[in-house]
Amino acid sequence: MSLVALGASDVAGGFKSWRMWWMLAKNDVVRRYRRSRIGQWWLTLSMAAMIGGMSLVYSGLFNTPMADYLPYLGTGLVLWGLVSSVIIDCCLSFTEAENIMRQIALPRFTYLLRTIGRNLLVFGHNLVLLPIMYFLSGSPVNWYVLLFIPSLLLVLANLAWAGYMLAILSARFRDIPQIIQSVVQVAFFISPVIYKASQLRIDHPLLVWNPFASMLDVMRAPLLGQMPSLWSYGMLAALLVVGWLTTLAFAGKYSHRVVYWL
Amino acid sequence: MASVVLEQASVDLAIFNSRGRALKSEILRRTIGGDLRDERDRSVQVVRALDQISFEAHDGDRIGLIGSNGAGKTTLLRVLSRVYPPTSGRAVVDGRVSTLIDLSMGMDTDATGYENIVMRGIMLGLDATEAKAITADVEEFSELGDYLSLPIRTYSSGMMLRLAFAVSTVVQPDILILDEIIGVGDARFKDRAEKRVQNMISNASIVFIASHDNGAIRRFCNRTLWLKGGKLMMDGAPDEVFAAYNPEEHTPAE
Repeated sequence: MSLVALGASDVAGGFKSWRMWWMLAKNDVVRRYRRSRIGQWWLTLSMAAMIGGMSLVYSGLFNTPMADYLPYLGTGLVLWGLVSSVIIDCCLSFTEAENIMRQIALPRFTYLLRTIGRNLLVFGHNLVLLPIMYFLSGSPVNWYVLLFIPSLLLVLANLAWAGYMLAILSARFRDIPQIIQSVVQVAFFISPVIYKASQLRIDHPLLVWNPFASMLDVMRAPLLGQMPSLWSYGMLAALLVVGWLTTLAFAGKYSHRVVYWL
Repeated sequence: MASVVLEQASVDLAIFNSRGRALKSEILRRTIGGDLRDERDRSVQVVRALDQISFEAHDGDRIGLIGSNGAGKTTLLRVLSRVYPPTSGRAVVDGRVSTLIDLSMGMDTDATGYENIVMRGIMLGLDATEAKAITADVEEFSELGDYLSLPIRTYSSGMMLRLAFAVSTVVQPDILILDEIIGVGDARFKDRAEKRVQNMISNASIVFIASHDNGAIRRFCNRTLWLKGGKLMMDGAPDEVFAAYNPEEHTPAE
């Protein structure tokens, strides 16, 4: 079997074990907020506090009206929360499941799906803030919003291959999660989360060659009533193909060794 | 029909110290560090836990594993439960495998007994309905009664083991793997537990038992594998293997 086929069968097996990773993902979220007053709605509350605080400060600094800036920043922060936490958490997908991995044999991708599932649940809790924000600021919502789901799936499919590769590497090299945390932190500031993409000239390299900018664009624009740029879709589609081919081959070769690195 | 086939299966375990685990060290080593001729990473030691093991097991085999500590029994059990893919050679394990090595794997201490039963059920490969269906069986066997509605962090270690044992033994596997015959709980529970394990052993297609208790092996097994230093020294009927093993292990070396 070729390496890519081996990797692909592991990924398929991961999806088949959905009962296992879905249960673990739900339990991960519930467990964090057991015995607290409002349970997992603390996630939403803390995100709301951050959005509120930041938009007050930065709308003043940038001299933009709140009604315009609040929905932009709020959507950006919620989306960034998903992207950054998936990348950072996926690094630890195998190391956190060490106990289970040494007892039962499951396709390796199962643990990635658990991490992504868990972060999607958290994302779902934060998503409820968006309609509230749009209502408060009178933000337009039109038919473009239908593009959100396909865009979300495209972004998740990209995060999945990156996460899988990072998870394997992080099981072997234990300083990678720290490195990734720093990279993501830098990415937060250089990507158009806080600042508007329109504040830079349209062909600025930070917007053109930055995959994070593309991810934000395809998900945020539909929610704010705009059409995402075709360049963003193109970039993500290209990354999807190249990324998955590389990761499947890499996983085909190395995913069996992961349990020995734990 | 369950079957197990091992062909020259070996397991090499790499022992990493903290330097061997850092990407920074790896990059330095490959670029500027050390002698250019020295390809091996000296911060990684390799232990050959299993050395070219070959054997086959079929329906009806009850196989005992014997050997001194560190001989590779647990590593072989992990290969048989598909957790450790061999680093060279082949291991083909067909059938549903159940290992009763770590009974409390994956238990969430803040969740209630009932919630943990469903979780473990799913880990054993059941779907949600089946997982809920085993609850009655586990309730009845563990005899924990109302305590099952409490989070398991409130349990004593004995109660925890009873629950873990009850859940681990509720599904009948094709291939059963045991590391020592388990004896848990108070005397009464111990009796019922032993009966339950014996039941699982008789109903399984293939059984592997790693044990230092020769009596247990004579009782349950029709075949014995003797491991020493990762190598398979002998594969035969229990009495034959004991005859070869015992004199060796009891030579006054200490």
